[in-house]
Amino acid sequence: MTVETSSPLRPRRIRRAPKTVRAPGAPPAPKRRGRRSHALVRALPALLLTALALTGPLWAPHRVDEPVTAPYAAPDGAAALGGDQLGRDVLSRLLHGGAPLIATALAVAVLVTGAATVIGILAVLRPRLGRWVERAADLAILLPAVLGIMLIGLAWPAGGRLPVAAAATVLGIPYAVRVVAAAAAPVAASGYVEAAAVGGERLWYLMVREVLPNLRATVLALFGLRFVEGVYVVSVAAFLQLGPQPPEADWALMIRENAPGIMLNPWAVGAPCLAIGLLAVSVNLAADALAPARTTPETAL
Amino acid sequence: MTPAPTAGGAAAPPAPPRAAGPLPGLGRAAWLAARRLAMLTVLLAAVFAAIELLPGDAANATSERGETAADMAARRAALGLDRPVVERFWDWMTGLPAGDLGTTAHGQPVTSVLAGPFPNTLLLGTLALTASILGALALGSWAALRPGGRTDRTIAVLSTAAFALPEFVLSVALLLVFSLWTGWLPAVTLTGADGTPASWDMLLLPALALAVPQIGWNTRIVRGALADQAALPHVRAAVLDGLPRHRILTHHMLPGALPAIAVSTATSAGMLLGGAVVVETLFNYPGIGAVLSGAIADRDTPLVAGVVAATGAAISILLLLADLVRERVLRERP
Repeated sequence: MTVETSSPLRPRRIRRAPKTVRAPGAPPAPKRRGRRSHALVRALPALLLTALALTGPLWAPHRVDEPVTAPYAAPDGAAALGGDQLGRDVLSRLLHGGAPLIATALAVAVLVTGAATVIGILAVLRPRLGRWVERAADLAILLPAVLGIMLIGLAWPAGGRLPVAAAATVLGIPYAVRVVAAAAAPVAASGYVEAAAVGGERLWYLMVREVLPNLRATVLALFGLRFVEGVYVVSVAAFLQLGPQPPEADWALMIRENAPGIMLNPWAVGAPCLAIGLLAVSVNLAADALAPARTTPETAL
Repeated sequence: MTPAPTAGGAAAPPAPPRAAGPLPGLGRAAWLAARRLAMLTVLLAAVFAAIELLPGDAANATSERGETAADMAARRAALGLDRPVVERFWDWMTGLPAGDLGTTAHGQPVTSVLAGPFPNTLLLGTLALTASILGALALGSWAALRPGGRTDRTIAVLSTAAFALPEFVLSVALLLVFSLWTGWLPAVTLTGADGTPASWDMLLLPALALAVPQIGWNTRIVRGALADQAALPHVRAAVLDGLPRHRILTHHMLPGALPAIAVSTATSAGMLLGGAVVVETLFNYPGIGAVLSGAIADRDTPLVAGVVAATGAAISILLLLADLVRERVLRERP
């Protein structure tokens, strides 16, 4: 493709050009602040929902294992969202069922993000490790998370939630490391990190003080994404009856248990479904708002 | 453009003969295939090792109450679990290329247990994968036509929301809306005499539940890859030359974005197969999902390992195709 530098610009572009010339350097500062508060607003639904789910047991009107109405009873005065397959209060179970799911997903997200941040920065500063990390990520693609968790959950049946969390952590790290390494590579290649390295700074100092501060947005967004992935994996495992066991209240388990009665009391299935869906979507949108903006300037078509 | 280097490509010591010999393309393809095969072998070895190291085996998983230690030993011998690890690993690995995936905890060959349901899952997965590729290409391209516009932002938010949804949540929502409240589509899959779904409309809801999250994910990939292309000088030149927007999209941007899209499609296939297990359970679809659910109840590890091997092979083939697409694009535009 030959580039004709002499080709005349279309009038549309000429008219647009002065706009960018008129205000040199003035707008960026308020714009950036605007973006940050915007991100906070978009993160708010996720924070509210998480807080509600974690404090849920405090609001629950009934115990989770106590039948208060008929099986699959429609919503009435005794139970605001009706009864489940044993006549237990759906609302109370809903309020109890979020905390363990969110706690497990949070633990997975913290572990994966922490490990991936350390390994990802190390992989960029030490290229030999970086190549092994690439191979591990290529390998992890071949094993769908759901199947990996089934495998480990089966071989370690007595562990409850632990094997699920362990499998989700191990299977999540390779991809997350790749994300951190991709973001850290340009930082590590910049002059000041090389200067610090040549100046004899220790490895941990390079990692924590030189590279990490520039990856805040990436790490925050990664944490959000890993939390969503954690919710996905832990809830799918619970749905497949790996992890929480009846009579425990758990959103995914509620969906599985009450599915046969979906015609009689749709809320018994719909409410936990809505809860998981809202949680996943709101956290994902929050993570998206926190993610670093695209830096490549896109040509308008 | 700068392709992201993958695993062995740069690192592997025996540099591939890129343009040597009479059939350079074929040699390169063979090299790529060998690399993917090596990856698959390592994965299978890791799976086998994990099963060995974790407590419990197929014999005590299927044991019944009151069984004596002698009975257990007899069952172990019957399942071949008393032989050395290395020998069993060798047998398992050498059996795989011939289609022998081992023996389930109940003593049946894994291959014959999977022979009926696997094609059904493959049909469902192919349908969902096709829908997700077409949907993602359409939505991603539509968004790329007006960067930063209202359409672009709406599609960005919707695709972000869509890929966060677990398949079973989506399945229940679809069931409630399209089956229970409107009655347009059947809620459960009825199986015909030949073991396949009785009518085509029973495939729609499960396929949709599988496809929507992948459409969301792939739309973001397509959009990102197109944005990377739009920042390159040749696209700017095409815009300045006054070419029509659709032509710039199809002839100047999409070809360069193809490798990224191909890799993401291969990754999607893995997530589809994982999600299928759940969706099939909810819709009572006669695929590997039902088999795997049963395997979990029976603690039948060899059966799950067999499914992992088959799935890993399917994903490897798709990743190899993605490698070949990248090769082709790179050769055309160095």
